[in-house]
Amino acid sequence: MNTRPLLSLFALALLPSALCAQPAPAPSPATQAIDVKSGAWEGIVNIDVSVLVPDYREPWNAGQPSGGSGTGFLIGKNRFLTNAHVVSNATRILIRTTNDPEPHPARIVHIAHDCDLALIEAEDSSHFEKLKPLDFGGIPQLNTEVIAIGYPIGGDRISVTRGVVSRIDFRPYSHTSVDSHLAIQVDAAINPGNSGGPVMQEGKVVGVAFQGFSGRVAQNVGYMIPVPVIKRFLKDIEDGRYDHYVDLAASDFPIENPAQAKALGTSSDGVGVMVGDVEPQGSVGDLLKIGDVILSIDDNPVMNNGLVRFEGELMDMNEIVERKFAGDTIKLKYMRDGKKLESTVTLKRFDPYVRLGAQYNQRPRYIVNAGLVFQPLDRNLMDAHQMRDDTVNYVFDNFLTDKLYVERPEPVVLTNVLPDEVNTWITPYAHSIVDEINGLKIKTLKDVETALAKKDKPFIEIILLEKNRPLVLKRELAEAAHKRIMETYNILEDSYLGDE
Amino acid sequence: MKLSPIFLFLALGAATLSAQTPETEAPKKKRAPAVAEAGSAPQQVVQNNSLVRVNATSQPYSLHLPWQKESPSSRRGLGVVLAGNRVLVTGQMVADATYVELELPEKGQKISAKVVAVDYEANLALLESAPSDKQKAFFAGLKPMAVDSSTRIDDKVDILQTGRVGELIKSELRISKVMTRRYNVEGSGFLVYEANNIVRSEANSFTLPVVKSGKLVGLLLSYDSKNQVTTILPAPIIEHFLKDVADGSYEGFPSLGMELQTTLDEQFRDFLGLKADAPGVLISLVMKGGSAEKAGMKKGDILVAINGFVIDSRGDYKDPQFGALSSSHLVRGRAYVGDKVEIQVIREGKEVTLKGELTRRKPDDFLVLPYLFDKGPRYVLMGGLLFQELSHPYLDAFGEEQRGGAILRLSRVASHPDKYEEEGRKKLVFLSLVLPTPSAQGYDKLGGQVVNKVNGKAIKDLNDLNDAFKSVKDTTHVIELNDFPHILYLDTTNAANDNKRLLGGAYRIGSLMRLE
Repeated sequence: MNTRPLLSLFALALLPSALCAQPAPAPSPATQAIDVKSGAWEGIVNIDVSVLVPDYREPWNAGQPSGGSGTGFLIGKNRFLTNAHVVSNATRILIRTTNDPEPHPARIVHIAHDCDLALIEAEDSSHFEKLKPLDFGGIPQLNTEVIAIGYPIGGDRISVTRGVVSRIDFRPYSHTSVDSHLAIQVDAAINPGNSGGPVMQEGKVVGVAFQGFSGRVAQNVGYMIPVPVIKRFLKDIEDGRYDHYVDLAASDFPIENPAQAKALGTSSDGVGVMVGDVEPQGSVGDLLKIGDVILSIDDNPVMNNGLVRFEGELMDMNEIVERKFAGDTIKLKYMRDGKKLESTVTLKRFDPYVRLGAQYNQRPRYIVNAGLVFQPLDRNLMDAHQMRDDTVNYVFDNFLTDKLYVERPEPVVLTNVLPDEVNTWITPYAHSIVDEINGLKIKTLKDVETALAKKDKPFIEIILLEKNRPLVLKRELAEAAHKRIMETYNILEDSYLGDE
Repeated sequence: MKLSPIFLFLALGAATLSAQTPETEAPKKKRAPAVAEAGSAPQQVVQNNSLVRVNATSQPYSLHLPWQKESPSSRRGLGVVLAGNRVLVTGQMVADATYVELELPEKGQKISAKVVAVDYEANLALLESAPSDKQKAFFAGLKPMAVDSSTRIDDKVDILQTGRVGELIKSELRISKVMTRRYNVEGSGFLVYEANNIVRSEANSFTLPVVKSGKLVGLLLSYDSKNQVTTILPAPIIEHFLKDVADGSYEGFPSLGMELQTTLDEQFRDFLGLKADAPGVLISLVMKGGSAEKAGMKKGDILVAINGFVIDSRGDYKDPQFGALSSSHLVRGRAYVGDKVEIQVIREGKEVTLKGELTRRKPDDFLVLPYLFDKGPRYVLMGGLLFQELSHPYLDAFGEEQRGGAILRLSRVASHPDKYEEEGRKKLVFLSLVLPTPSAQGYDKLGGQVVNKVNGKAIKDLNDLNDAFKSVKDTTHVIELNDFPHILYLDTTNAANDNKRLLGGAYRIGSLMRLE
């Protein structure tokens, strides 16, 4: 088992070839030495995690044991905040403070993968009762100094690094790879192991360090999750449940073209962004149409590039939606065919996108029948199986863009055929999307179970998407082979369909 | 472009090959070309007076900036002189050719030539030089080579190459397999001979003849130096091509237009109701407008015979010359466009005889052009927006790593065109690129979106698009796309002004469209 310090690293952006000289930072205020023994930072703890990475290739197996370490900090009575990626897929969590090497077992209270935050608690709270929780600040200003505190690589004791706030922007969160929220870039060194640790200014927490670029891509670029995102998470879980982010589930297209502005009837003051796509199952699926112009959200005018001025900063208009919760409403002013309209929209989570991102803390779902392995299509599956089939790749890549989720909310893939006499002719058809089984359209993995239970015909007939021949198994042969295959390939359970 | 030169790597064992030994049989035959001219000189220099070197310059059009051409490159090959002073080469040899010349291997004399017939599917072309005194003199010492279709498995054949001074270099091969395979462009398989041995490398070549006893048995298709496997474009296909050319109008190779599935799997046979040793394959796809569809073939039929040849559960028939061979050769190689065809199928348990006439689906009959040579891609430029018709070469020009997003979507249309064909589209028009112009402001990052309508008119091909732009009544062009952002607007006056600026401007655009 290997233990590695945790930090989400990504290397998406290309570095401009010339690095411009930065303006000299403002003279830093007199720095103050911190006495670690004072207990002021006692609430910043090291989190040691043992994990089990699920195996999406052999979904009936336990997975690969691994481990890691990150940082967390006390924010209330026996409540430690950290990153979701620090404690994802954990089988054991241990907390250690800097002055006390004793490990304390802990467990997850709430975990929010979409904003990479988690709340954990010690199983025995008595040890932490005297510790002082850290307080939250606000959004720090650009070019103001911050310190990052945590347990990064390079030693076992607590570490402090210093830098300034470099940028405040809407950024992809790499934990799921499909969620974007407000993130603050700092040039304080943030290294593997810092994850989940506080970034502080004037004694208050202004963010949670969570991701950065690999040194090969960019230097001194680290990101923290800012307070609005943290507060939203803490508010969301107040009712004892995490409800996830809500989404407009519509794509905007800037109005920069004069002919486009004229045709859409927008005024010359640069207000209004065009709706380029609408998800039928999203919050505004029944309201907005392609070609509509969004004028304002909750009375904040939306500019032609989709930005709003919000809390003094220019931000993506989605930031207003971001702060809301499932069931909240927003006031939307929009224009259609030159007419100004107004509507109140109840916000909800847009589920179909979830499977496009990485998912955690889930046991892989599957069905094995006569050696045929069926699994739902999602990113975890795509990453594990390295799918090369054009149809599978098309369905995954265009699940949203071509609205494929409407017809098939959970596409099912025949991922593997475990060779046996009964199925030897159909082994080449692994990595295909299942369209129908025994005359039943397969929309979810559950449908596979229902369809296979239909026993009115002597054959099991499987129709694959865009493959021109059906796969056929004689039912009596398939049933006889099933048990044999389970034993041969050491499969204890022939399906796992989830908790429900 | 999928053109790859037949690259011959220098084989280590070449010295052991009897490349310089003249063929002993050849002189005995009356009409056989004299291979052994040099007699018993100590340094044997053997020529073949039926071969000429062919030099071609190739310059394809740019697929992404279709108003310009790519840089020219040269290709070499060894053509075969046929009756009527015509020279046979592969289609690859002359694809996108701007200049073709013939050269006498020994003397080095050169003469320019033109392509008189070419079939890129069958990968064959016929060259000719305009009649003149020079032409007469050039061909005076050359003798036509006969084509021999009688080759069988296990026959020994020679690949011919020429050295620096025209000396003949032979590599002997043994035909080990006869099968059908795709040549260079998309489409169904043609007959291929496969042979094994080391082939000595003289130079990169796009055409090398394969002979037996002084007669042409094929042209080299590919050589895999690692496995020492050679594939040969065989004489039956060459004869088919020549016969088709000879009658004045070239029709090409016919096809049935269907897809079949083997029935080796016993459970599948039971499901289909096929008896244990009964012949036949499942028809899983019948292409619209193809010979099979016209003859009345349906998806789900069991194909049991074509023209009296029984089709086995692999989809093969027993060829009298080659043994088991894919049934596609019954139509492709052994029949001509316009020939009658008789197909036996089992439908709902009963045997049905279908009768029809063989046709060929021309490249232009496809929604997505399978290949494109010698012509520029069609395009229309409007105010910086570049519209093209989707083609396989366009998609192939993107590398594996660029295949996400729009290219993946377009590739899928190319492999499943049915839905778009049913909509009545003749070609798939898409926005391929946006040049930065004032009228296209805000659109510069777009590319890869399928065009549905322009100014209210459904777009079935680029001509429709051009007409729709012309017939605009409003001051704004409205372009409806199949993909995000679904709708674009262009000011007609500004777009027209940008068009004028684009002509001869920084992008060196000579014409705003190519619609021929």
